[in-house]
Amino acid sequence: MSNRLNREIETPAEKQNRHKAMEAITVLNTLKESFKEPPKAMGYFYDLFEEVYCHQKALHSDKVKVGTMCIQIPSEIIYALDGVPIRLCNGFYTDDEIGSDLLPQKSCPLVKASVGHLASKNITDRPDMIYSPTTCDQKTKAGSTIEGFGYDVVDVDFPRTKESEISREFFRRSIRGFSADLSAKTGKKLSRKKLRASISKIGYAQSLYHQLSELRKSSAVPILGNDMFLVTNAFFFDRIDSWIEATEALVEELEQRAKEKVHAAGRVSPRIVYTGSPPIFPNYKIPLIIEESDAIIVADETCSSNRMFNDRVAVDEWFVNDMIDSLADKYLKACTCPVFTKNDDRIRRIIELVKSHNADGVIYQAFAGCTVYELEQRSVLEAMEKEGISILYIESDYSPSQHGQLSTRVEAFVESLKIKNRKRR
Amino acid sequence: MNYFAGIDIGSTAIKITIIDENRALVGQRISGSGSMFYKYAHQTLDDLLRELKIAKEEIVYTVATGYGRKLFKEADENISEITANAIGAVAAAREFGEIKTIINIGGQDSKAISLDDTGNVVNFAMNDRCAAGTGKFLDACAMNLEIGVEELGERHFHAIGTPLSINSTCAVFAESEIIGLLGNNHNVEDIVCGVHYSIAKRIVKLVKRVGIREGIYFDGGPALNGGLVNAIENELGKKIFIPEHPQITTSYGAAILGADSFDYQKMNG
Ligand code: SF4
Ligand code: SF4
Repeated sequence: MSNRLNREIETPAEKQNRHKAMEAITVLNTLKESFKEPPKAMGYFYDLFEEVYCHQKALHSDKVKVGTMCIQIPSEIIYALDGVPIRLCNGFYTDDEIGSDLLPQKSCPLVKASVGHLASKNITDRPDMIYSPTTCDQKTKAGSTIEGFGYDVVDVDFPRTKESEISREFFRRSIRGFSADLSAKTGKKLSRKKLRASISKIGYAQSLYHQLSELRKSSAVPILGNDMFLVTNAFFFDRIDSWIEATEALVEELEQRAKEKVHAAGRVSPRIVYTGSPPIFPNYKIPLIIEESDAIIVADETCSSNRMFNDRVAVDEWFVNDMIDSLADKYLKACTCPVFTKNDDRIRRIIELVKSHNADGVIYQAFAGCTVYELEQRSVLEAMEKEGISILYIESDYSPSQHGQLSTRVEAFVESLKIKNRKRR
Repeated sequence: MNYFAGIDIGSTAIKITIIDENRALVGQRISGSGSMFYKYAHQTLDDLLRELKIAKEEIVYTVATGYGRKLFKEADENISEITANAIGAVAAAREFGEIKTIINIGGQDSKAISLDDTGNVVNFAMNDRCAAGTGKFLDACAMNLEIGVEELGERHFHAIGTPLSINSTCAVFAESEIIGLLGNNHNVEDIVCGVHYSIAKRIVKLVKRVGIREGIYFDGGPALNGGLVNAIENELGKKIFIPEHPQITTSYGAAILGADSFDYQKMNG
């Protein structure tokens, strides 16, 4: 009997890479193929994700890579110190499964995936150090787990209220500490010139995002919400100059599309504001179901785009310490993370987005296991009800198998919006 | 010479194995089970005996196994396919070493069996009642891709891009996924590879339920598909043993059990 013992078997790292590649390509193909013509400028982003996640292309071999666990670490400071920020929020089910062996089963998939990713040691742009803001409990605790894998993890103190002067001062100090720590580690000095330059560069990147958001307000929305998530997720890890160039091209093309009234969705597709746990590539499960159900995401209130991009840093004094303070203020005040109490700001932001983008409804997704988003669901739902805004709350995770039940719920919601619209006319 | 027959009446095929007193394989035959199990089983046995030039009387003990085993009334004994599979696998893999885990993919189900050190079944798991990850599923995929099912194995190794996953656990939805991929002009090879990995992932989940213990044996018709074997090995991260005739392990096991029973009965009067 034959037993052909000399067949080659993948190493665990090769297997993990293949699994991730399979996850990535499924989403990319869906974006390219299941909808109307995507903008040509999206090609850059599709290729970028394919290269990084299907072919493990490293982008920053020449730089100090500064891993960040959340949007609260100012990338302006990292760039000014010649580093590159790499946000470690992870969306892979493959990594979630690895992390499940290390964290409680009930933890949020984003945290499990981030931990699983770092545990695997199979990382193309491996961070040289990690800064972990003490926001939600799970991220905070994940920091020490990650330290166990041999990473240098520094906690960045984060307040749980943002309205008071105390917390403002607290976070300013915290960011000063972060900047001193990074400067000591990289052996670079934070110069006025460089910080100023990076603030204006990031400011410019934000303004590009802003232009894109403006275009999504019109009745013919030139781009899908899912494509937008790809653009903003790319900002997590891409080379900043290439990102800016590609986004400029996208803005230009979308302006053209807007003139020609090209609508990325159907004529009566309901317009959705998306909020909740951040969609991180390739976990676009809910956003894809939404747009596959003939709705279009016109704006979002999440940590992977609107919340990180929309407010620009306002500097009144161009001295290093003043600039750091302005950065700290911007990051804290503009953030609508549900770890904050009180968090009326988030509700206000969602309502504002619904109005400015003429949305028909809100879809609120929380990852199963994310207590803060789950807890905040109630107040958001009540507020929307008061405003007469339709809202759907969904809990989900990273597993690919729940598709059936979830899509039925989303479709029913989308259809109810269509019927409402028809009656209104 | 005394001979022993093992007859495995499965949902899609009838497998018959004949062994001699030394438990050596003398001959085997596979035919479709069609709608008339009973008639086909007899016909297949007759054909095989004629081919081997063995008289019916020389078959001194017959054991039936498989879904349709109860329909074969002439059998001296019948046993479940789980037990027969285990006995057959241990015997077939003798020169490979000890068998601890068996993966079996049949026409309409798949199972994982865990054995103890003496070759007894300690645990087993079967897929839920769905064709996903079975031989039927492979047939359906090949049909949608308009290639022969025997071509799947070779095509797997010619994938050039990332394997394209088929995420639906339901065979019907999986079919539409495949049609969708084809419609968007994806490579047949990349789809084939994705189909194999999707099945492999499901199989590994099943195996995990009984515990993955080294000494892994894979049988059933789909074990002839080298691409699927490759995918399962990669998903397990372990080598697996494929017997020369993976389709007949169960009937082989039934025949061995028959020989053992015969000897035992002779010794104990
Ligand atoms: S939701 Fe909160 S913890 Fe998560 S990335 Fe956003 S700011 Fe950070
Ligand atoms: S989704 Fe929730 S639990 Fe997960 S990292 Fe963000 S805030 Fe924390």
